[in-house]
Amino acid sequence: MFSQNEQQFNRWMLVGLISGFILLIAGFALVAAGLRNSNESARLVRHTFEVKDAIGDLTVALERSEAARRGYLIEPDPYRRQVYEEWAPQIVPSLNRLEELVSDSPAQSESVRRLRPIVVKELAEIERSMDLATSGDFATARAEFSGSPGLSTLQLIRDRARRINAVEEGLLRERQDAARNQQNFVQLLLLLTGTLLAGVAAFTFWLVRKFTRELLDSQKRLHRLNTDLEGAVKERTADLQRANDEIQRFAYIVSHDLRSPLVNVMGFTSEMERADKIVADFVTVVEDKQPELVSDEVRFAAREDLPEAIGFIRSSTRKMDRLINAILDLSRQGRRVLTPEMLPMDRLIGDIAANLEVLAAERDARFIIEEPMPSLRHDRLAVEQIFSNLMENATKYLQSGRQGVIMVRGRREGSRAIFEVEDNGRGIAPEDHERIFELFRRSGQQDQQGEGIGLANVRALAYRLGGTITVRSVLSEGSTFVVDLPVEFSEEGKDQ
Amino acid sequence: MNAQQPVRIVMIEDDEGHARLIEKNIRRAGISNQLVHFLDGTTGLDYLFNNPEGPGKNGPALVLLDLNLPDMSGTDILAKIKGDEKLHRVPVVVLTTTDDKVEIQRCYDLGCNVYITKPVNYESFADAIRQLGLFLSVIQVPDADA
Repeated sequence: MFSQNEQQFNRWMLVGLISGFILLIAGFALVAAGLRNSNESARLVRHTFEVKDAIGDLTVALERSEAARRGYLIEPDPYRRQVYEEWAPQIVPSLNRLEELVSDSPAQSESVRRLRPIVVKELAEIERSMDLATSGDFATARAEFSGSPGLSTLQLIRDRARRINAVEEGLLRERQDAARNQQNFVQLLLLLTGTLLAGVAAFTFWLVRKFTRELLDSQKRLHRLNTDLEGAVKERTADLQRANDEIQRFAYIVSHDLRSPLVNVMGFTSEMERADKIVADFVTVVEDKQPELVSDEVRFAAREDLPEAIGFIRSSTRKMDRLINAILDLSRQGRRVLTPEMLPMDRLIGDIAANLEVLAAERDARFIIEEPMPSLRHDRLAVEQIFSNLMENATKYLQSGRQGVIMVRGRREGSRAIFEVEDNGRGIAPEDHERIFELFRRSGQQDQQGEGIGLANVRALAYRLGGTITVRSVLSEGSTFVVDLPVEFSEEGKDQ
Repeated sequence: MNAQQPVRIVMIEDDEGHARLIEKNIRRAGISNQLVHFLDGTTGLDYLFNNPEGPGKNGPALVLLDLNLPDMSGTDILAKIKGDEKLHRVPVVVLTTTDDKVEIQRCYDLGCNVYITKPVNYESFADAIRQLGLFLSVIQVPDADA
C-alpha cells in the first residue's frame, strides 16, 4: 500500500516538475517577447521623433533660406548670404533623410515624394534669386521674387510638412496602440503563466507536504510498532521464562514426590527380604528337625519365589530411582547459575580424554585430538559435561570387530565455535537422529548400560549456552556429533 | 527438675511408610524412647504447643520433621518452634527428601539442629536412621521449662 502511494507520489511529483519547467520556459519567452515589444515601441517613438526632426530640419532650413533670400534681396548683406549658404545645402539632405525615414509607411512615402518637387522647385527659385542678386541683378531678382508664388509655395510646404507630421503622429499612435495591445496580451499570458506556475508550485508543495506527513506518520507508526515489539518480545520472554520456570519446578516437585513412595517401596522390600531370610532360615531349621512339615511349596515360596519377586522389585525400583534422579539432575542443571570463564579447549578436551583413557582402553577405543581448538568463554561444568558425555558415548557404541577411533576437532566461524566429535562406531539409523536427543530414548541395539539421559542433557546444556547440537551418521560406519556454540556466553535475553 | 523424665520423640511425617521405616530403624538402633507420630502439621503443632504431655507444657522432646507436608510447609513449623519462647530449645531434626541447597540453608537459618536428606537407597536410609538413633541416645536434650 505504501509503495503504491510512493509511486503515485513520484508520478504526480514528476508531472508537477515538468509542468513547472514548461511554464517557466513559457514565462521566459513571454518576458522576452514583452521586452522586445517595448523595445519596438520605444523604437517607434524614436522613429516618429526622428521623422518629426527631419521635417523640422527641412522646414527650418527652407524657412531660413527663404528668409535669407528675402533679406538679401532687400539688402544684400554678406551676413544674409552667409545664412543662405549655411542653410540652403541642408534642404535636400533633410528631404532625403525624411524620405528615407518614412519609407516604412507607403502613405507617408507618397506624401514626401509629392513634397519633393515642390521643395526642389522652391529651392531652385531661391537659388536663382540668390544667384541673380549675387551677380548684381537685383532688379530681375526682385521682379521674379515678387512675381513668384514663393510665399504660397512655402505655405504649401509648411502645410504638407504639418500634415506629414500629423500623419506620423497618427501612425505613432496607431503603432503604439498595436504595441500596447500586444503588450497587454503578453502581460495577460504572463499573468496566466504566473498563476499556473503558482498553482503548480502550490500543488507540488501540497504533494510534498502530504507525502512528508504520510512519511512522518508511517515513521511514527513504525517507531511505535518497534517499541511495542520490544515490549511484546519482553513480555513473551517473560512468559516463556515463567513457563520454563514452571516446568523446572514441576520436574523438581514431581521427582521429589515420586521419590517418597519409592523410599517406601525400597524400604519395605528390604524389610520383606529380611523377613524372608528369617522365614527361609526357619524353613531350614524345620526341615532339619521335622522334614515332613515342610512341603515343596513352602520351600519354593521361601527360597525361590520370594527372593525372585524381591529381586525384580529391587531392580525395577533402582531403575526408577535412576530415572527420577536423572529428571532431578536435569531440572537442577536448568536452575544452575552459569558462570562463564575462559576455557582453553585444547586442555579441557585433553583432560576429558585423559580421564576416559582407561575406560576407552577397556573398550578398545582411542582418542585423537586435533589441535588447536578455539578457546571459549563459558561455564566450565556445562562445557565439560557436554564433551565428556559425547566422548564417553563414542567409546561406548563401537562397531564390533573394529577398534574405536574417536576424533575431536574444533574450528572457529565468526563468533561461533564449531566442535566435532567423530567416531567410527556403529552409527545411528537416520530415523533416530532426532530421537536420540530426547529424554529416555535410545537407539540401536540395547546392549549398553544407560537410561537415555546423556544426550538429552547435552542438548539441554547446549541450548542453555546459546548453542546447538546435531548429528551426522551413517549406520555401522560412524557418527559425528557437531556442537555449535557462541565463542562467548551471553545471558539469555541480552544478545540471543 | 525433670532430669529423669525420658525424652519424647515427636515425629511429623505425612508418609506412613516412611514413619514406619524410621521408627523401625530407630528401634533397631536400640532407642526405646516414646515416639509420637503425626501425619500433618496442624495436629503436630497442636501437640507440641498445647498437649499436656507435649513439650510445650511438659517434658523434654526431640522433633523429627518432614518438610513436605500436606497442610503446611515444614519450614513454617520449624519457624514456629524456633520462634517460641518455650520451645525454641527443642532440638529439631529435619528429615526429608528435599536436597535443595537453598532449602537446607533456610532450615539452618531458621534454627534447625540437624538436616538429613532421606536416601532413596534403603540400606543407606536405614543406616542413616540407625546413626540418628545412636546420635539420639547420646545427645543431651534441654528441658523445655528451663
